[in-house]
Amino acid sequence: MEFKRRDFLKIAGLTFLGLMAKPGWEVVSQIKPLEPSPAPNYFTGKKWAMAIDLIKCWNAKDGCRDCIDACHTIHNVPEIGYAKEEIKWIWTIEYEKAFPEHIHDFNEKKYKGKPVIVLCNQCEDPPCVKYCPTRATWKREDGIVMMDFHRCIGCRYCMAGCPYGSRSFNWRDPRPFIKKANIEFPTRTKGVVEKCNFCEERLVKGLLPSCVETCKEKALIFGDLNDPNSEIRKILSERYVLQRQPELGTKPKVFYIL
Amino acid sequence: MIDKEKILIEKEIPLLEHVRKTGKGFYITISILIALVLWGLYAYLTQYRIGLGVTGLSRQIFWGVYITNFVFFIGISHAGTFISAILRVVKAEWRRPISRLSELTTVFILFFGVGSVLIDLGRPDRMLYAIRYAHFRSPLLWDVCSIATYLTVSSICLYLALIPDIALMRDIGWKKRQWLYEILSLGFTGTEKQWRRLERAILFMSIIVIPIMITVHTVVSYVFAMTIQPMWHSAIFGPYFVAGALFSGIATVITIMAIIRKAYHLEQYLKPIHFYNLGTLLLAMTLLWFYFTLGEYITTFYGNEPSQMAIFWSKIRGQYAPLFWTHVILCFVIPFPILAFPKSRTIKGTVIASISINIGMWLERFVIIVPTLTRQRIPIESAFYIPTWVEWSILVGCLSFFSLLYLIFTKFFPIVPIWEIHEGRGKSIPQIEERLRSYLPG
Repeated sequence: MEFKRRDFLKIAGLTFLGLMAKPGWEVVSQIKPLEPSPAPNYFTGKKWAMAIDLIKCWNAKDGCRDCIDACHTIHNVPEIGYAKEEIKWIWTIEYEKAFPEHIHDFNEKKYKGKPVIVLCNQCEDPPCVKYCPTRATWKREDGIVMMDFHRCIGCRYCMAGCPYGSRSFNWRDPRPFIKKANIEFPTRTKGVVEKCNFCEERLVKGLLPSCVETCKEKALIFGDLNDPNSEIRKILSERYVLQRQPELGTKPKVFYIL
Repeated sequence: MIDKEKILIEKEIPLLEHVRKTGKGFYITISILIALVLWGLYAYLTQYRIGLGVTGLSRQIFWGVYITNFVFFIGISHAGTFISAILRVVKAEWRRPISRLSELTTVFILFFGVGSVLIDLGRPDRMLYAIRYAHFRSPLLWDVCSIATYLTVSSICLYLALIPDIALMRDIGWKKRQWLYEILSLGFTGTEKQWRRLERAILFMSIIVIPIMITVHTVVSYVFAMTIQPMWHSAIFGPYFVAGALFSGIATVITIMAIIRKAYHLEQYLKPIHFYNLGTLLLAMTLLWFYFTLGEYITTFYGNEPSQMAIFWSKIRGQYAPLFWTHVILCFVIPFPILAFPKSRTIKGTVIASISINIGMWLERFVIIVPTLTRQRIPIESAFYIPTWVEWSILVGCLSFFSLLYLIFTKFFPIVPIWEIHEGRGKSIPQIEERLRSYLPG
């Protein structure tokens, strides 16, 4: 049988198309990301959120950083020591930077320079997730925006996508900068991005996030937004609530109570 | 056939000279370039060992020189398509001697565009995850697809237009590298049928590469425009980046032309008229660039949105004002008068304008990327960015590596397409005459 070039191209082309069908379909048909949590059913129907009572927080002694220290210790967050390569999961910024739209000439005296606790907002519509080229960051069913340190390629596009600056990059090996490593939580390598995970490793054991647990003033309230009787639902419906840059449509799940 | 080619060779002998003869200058240049490449490699290895902390990048300003290089190099790659493909499609006859050198610029600089992103990765060992776990909602994946297509198609364009010259090299009977030309010529002997096929293939590839080129720089701009960061989130970014890309691309080709002309004594082939014509195109791009820049900044200014204005003022009269105004001077104030007057659109004039534009366009990419990161939407005053020796060395290393590849290429193949010149001298003249007649009545 004569086998012409044209026939070869036809067969090769059809074979190629055939082989591409499955991966091609997978691209179009949105595969559900795998849930690495030990008990996937545990989270269904939950939606975790946090409220920060600023008045209570400001009652604490000056320079209180209990929540920060608690978080950074259990999550092996390195203490680099200089601003350029700083890594932080929870920290404070001045009121006028957290809520530039809520400061004006006449309330400056009262609010300017007051510390506001900030952390990953665990957005309901998280921009960072869209930008990640490898799905190393994704949103779980219970609303927690997760980060896979083993899949992150360190392109830092999620940092460009996050309007809150909640993400940190490991500019060098963080391990020498960890004072006392917690062997129950992974340390990171150089070249990956990290951020607050709402203590998902504690939630799975039925514990509260460590920052919430540590706060002596009880300024941090954590709970399930889907439960109408939860403490957080009650406080959100009764008190005056701020969110950081709600106009961007990211729907932050960290609320500030004033 | 052979006789015909012999006559051809005698006529176009200067075009083969640089392939045949290798002088002292070549060895000196190549040694310097290799040394610079090794220096860049050393810088990269330092970064690979210690981490990206060795750069000036910080928690706040996490993208800098490497991403600037990425946008800049990909921009230059537009030169080849614009000059070779578009001029071929519109049948501009003066493109003949410069088509290959611009296509070559495209293909080689693309490697460094892609390379710059890989250099910027925190975990380069995991770069293939972007394919393995590809997430097509991410604009970075759009870049991967579009740049890979562009690299493939423009390599094919370069290669197709190289085949007749490879066949010629095979037939002139040099012992050296005969086997290489034998393989690469794909059995091209110059029959009527082969020519017809080749010409059709070249024209076809030239047409499809044009839309691909436009998508490339559009999606490069989308990396920024798709975020909600102030002064990145702009719908004008697609065309703005494409115009900027053509602008820097043409400038690069003019610079390379001048170097080749001087180094390989091709004064007869790369004539003042080529510089003059490319200078005219460059003038058009200068104005287009100015128009886009003005449009981008004036809409921001008039909208007066606080988060945008913070970045705007940092460029106009703040921390980044020196860089901003330098880039305006280099991209417009210097080249515009030089290119606007036919009298100064000489070889020297266009080269000065081109060098000025190239530096200016690198700065333009820098002032688009970095100032936005100093603040994003949260005012942080302490953010600063001074690139370190590692970043500068890698930039120099990339440029040297590019020059090295270019130089090595010219030792294997003629940089001015012999067949296009030959065709232009011979069979194209009656064709052009006929074409011209068909435009006119009667």
